[in-house]
Amino acid sequence: MEIKTDSNDGSLVLIKQGAEARVFESTFVGRRSIVKERFSKKYRHPSLDSKLTLKRLNAEARCMTKARRLAVSTPVLYAVDPILHTLTFEYVEGRSVKDILLEIGSSGDGSKQLKDIAMQIGVAIGKLHDGGLIHGDLTTSNMLVRSSTNELVLIDFGLSFTSTIPEDKAVDLYVLERALLSMHSSCGNVMEQILASYRKTSKQWSSTSNKLAQVRQRGRKRTMVG
Amino acid sequence: MKVFEINGTTLTLALFTDVTNSKELLDAMQAGTLEPEVAFLNASLIPDVFPVLAAAYKTQISKSRDSLTTRTLHSELVYNYSGSKHITESLKRCGISDSSSYVLAARFNASPDETKAIEKLVHGEEINLEELGGRADQALIQKHFKITGPELTISSIGDTITCRIAARDAL
Repeated sequence: MEIKTDSNDGSLVLIKQGAEARVFESTFVGRRSIVKERFSKKYRHPSLDSKLTLKRLNAEARCMTKARRLAVSTPVLYAVDPILHTLTFEYVEGRSVKDILLEIGSSGDGSKQLKDIAMQIGVAIGKLHDGGLIHGDLTTSNMLVRSSTNELVLIDFGLSFTSTIPEDKAVDLYVLERALLSMHSSCGNVMEQILASYRKTSKQWSSTSNKLAQVRQRGRKRTMVG
Repeated sequence: MKVFEINGTTLTLALFTDVTNSKELLDAMQAGTLEPEVAFLNASLIPDVFPVLAAAYKTQISKSRDSLTTRTLHSELVYNYSGSKHITESLKRCGISDSSSYVLAARFNASPDETKAIEKLVHGEEINLEELGGRADQALIQKHFKITGPELTISSIGDTITCRIAARDAL
């Protein structure tokens, strides 16, 4: 697909390519920025494709700003382009929680830092869930730690949606639990620390916790029988 | 007076206090006789230049696609800065009124002559753009952009406005 660089000040440098979008580094009126482009899927009917792409683009922008209103730190949104299907964000200087945890896991020290990160993750998810926002893709690579302030920043709201149902919240937490288990088992039980601070933040802990126990037994997908 | 580069075009910004002729400026603007065409923004709603640049970027994009929502390029800038979809209300709140005395003037691709003309056009004292932060009316900004306390704990007020401007059409 052709990328029109003229719609941006700076040159675009590809950082990552996923199944749904490409992520570039660029500059936006003088600030370092990230451009996320949702590309079209050629296997879909063109009219359906543009409708879906646009809907998801807008949903992502909406969920990110909603998260900010709930006092959960996300990158600043600079621009939304409905024609090129791009979102432009602030470039967050820092490392991903994934990299930090992997380092802690292999070196064995940094339990204080680990505790701080786990606490922040729990608080952030608690605030999101109490505000009725489900992140949808909670993994350690979708969390950054801003180097200047050590503040946790959540990214990638591409799968986010609004819901107040305990089921959705429990599945959100379960996805994170599985991700931590498969990537960071050498860090010890981080999930326990996350849930402890989640419990302190969320007012709806008891219903979510009951649901989480059920979800753990059956897995992420609900069995649809009867 | 400062010039910013946006997407291949330039935006010239000048900040004025103690403006005495805002009524004339408003009348001329509404009659379409303002020469050169300039955007006047209510500077008490502007804590930082960055949101203005983001709004200008948006304006340039719609201009290049011939999809301006308002009648002129410069009214589009005021409309985009407001972060709302209500044009009349946006121009009223983020533009100037009869009694405005603190004004940010903006012009795209201003030539040196036009820059001088702007300085003559506005009867007031020109001050440094760095004064925006100290002179902004935080309560008014919070009310207009519907910003609540918790959001300000994670971000500066300028960044919060930028988010509102960027996400307007997605909401």
